[in-house]
Amino acid sequence: MPYAPVLHSEWLKIRTLRSLLGALLALFAATTAFSAIAGVSETSDPEFDPLFMALSGVGPGQIAAISFGAMAVSSEFHGGGLRLSLAAVPQRGRWFAAKATAIAVPALAVGLVTALAALLVAKAGLGDAASGLTVGEQVRGVVGCGIYLMLMALLAAGLAALLRSGAAALSVLIPLVLVVSFVIGDVAGGATDFMPDRAGQIVLYQTHGGPLGPWSGLAVTALWTAAALVAGAWSLRRRDA
Amino acid sequence: MTTIEVRELTKEYGTRRAVDDLTFTVLPGRVTGFLGPNGAGKSTTMRLVLGLDRTTSGSATVGGRRYDTLREPLRHVGALLDAQAAHGSRTGRDHLRTLAASNRIPLGRVDEVLEETGLASVARRRVKTYSLGMRQRLGIAAALLGDPEVVMLDEPSNGLDPEGIIWIRELLRRLAGEGRTVLVSSHLMNETASFADHLVVLGKGRLLADTPMREFIHARVQPSVRIRTTNPTALKAVLAQHGHDAAEHEDGHWTVHHARVDEIGRLVSAVGVPILELAAEEGTLEQAYLDLTSAETEFTAQPQEA
Repeated sequence: MPYAPVLHSEWLKIRTLRSLLGALLALFAATTAFSAIAGVSETSDPEFDPLFMALSGVGPGQIAAISFGAMAVSSEFHGGGLRLSLAAVPQRGRWFAAKATAIAVPALAVGLVTALAALLVAKAGLGDAASGLTVGEQVRGVVGCGIYLMLMALLAAGLAALLRSGAAALSVLIPLVLVVSFVIGDVAGGATDFMPDRAGQIVLYQTHGGPLGPWSGLAVTALWTAAALVAGAWSLRRRDA
Repeated sequence: MTTIEVRELTKEYGTRRAVDDLTFTVLPGRVTGFLGPNGAGKSTTMRLVLGLDRTTSGSATVGGRRYDTLREPLRHVGALLDAQAAHGSRTGRDHLRTLAASNRIPLGRVDEVLEETGLASVARRRVKTYSLGMRQRLGIAAALLGDPEVVMLDEPSNGLDPEGIIWIRELLRRLAGEGRTVLVSSHLMNETASFADHLVVLGKGRLLADTPMREFIHARVQPSVRIRTTNPTALKAVLAQHGHDAAEHEDGHWTVHHARVDEIGRLVSAVGVPILELAAEEGTLEQAYLDLTSAETEFTAQPQEA
């Protein structure tokens, strides 16, 4: 079967579910709102990083991106829905590739717009404190942030396909990004730098230490995401629908 | 080439055999009723034909090809497996649009099948507001979307109101009349008898029968004769004289078992018994089916000794 109609179908599925559009809206709203709040906060901290401060709304905002990816896949697991989808497109690998593309494109687009809005809003609040940011750093922050949000959405999508449940995928990922990094982050030392969220967020900082740079950090997140997608595709192909 | 061919098909879930060495063919131009108790393997067989579950051994093909090798399969095979498959938060029309898009079926066809299944007025309502009967109709609309030559419906009359049941019966007859291959599973005997030409009967995953419906009934149910008279004594006497066994019913009519109406009619008129009513009682599909399954139960309960 040709790929374009399958992608069209998957895109229609996302467009016609309000909860998915709601998740994308929440991604924008939560990220910009938290960045705006960060923009008017205290800036005298010696470790203050204006770029990360401006994009810090991603912390809570990424929950929406993760939910988007997980729900886009789990909507197929309602009462035999997957059977209907696979009867229409029996080539499961192709079907899942189309599903992933239909998740990635809107997540990236909304992620980029969100990052730009968050940066602008926060910079207005930070004023002089953000004046040291070069154009290059800002572009890197915005593009990196959009890619990061897309990768997290896809990571959730892969996990949801592997676990055949959106709730299961969320209960793995949300504690990971909300709790694990904060609690064991500094205790465990180097290892957590390679967690998908930690590694991918390096791109949001003006300056960075540690073994990973902005792009190599995103590459590490991309590896996690690729692993989740491959595992999801493998599970989908192997199991009875 | 629109025949469904199932050859030595076996499917195991763990150690349980859901489908056991099944071989049968579903031909175009007639409605094939797919019968068997719950858990006999009907739905599993349909999923295997659609390539949704992986076969343990054997094959299931449509028009000689495996389902997953079909290009734009909805244009060849339409199936209703589960009326709950549509996502509740989509509208009925959007649900069909997503399916149509994947197989490049024009949007106009979506509105056609909505009209055909009587859903046009609720097409823009979300599926979660639909009744079970409406969801069933939406599932049938999805099956008809690609104007397929092969139609497989799993329990299509579930949840339909009497009007809907008549509608589905006429739909199935029409589809078969157009030369399509129609396979319809059910556990409702009277319902199946009203539309099927041919039967495939499963029990515990195995094939119990694959015959035309009339033959299936005639081979298994002895005909009987219904008779009513103003003179029961004379009737009883003449029947007994010819070795017939008759039973009286509360409303006053009699049933003569294992008899043909031609014979009984001649006997009673020859001796001048007044007749108010005389009719042949055909066996029903239900009787034939129960006869088959009870024979099957006996067979499995008392395995032959080696």
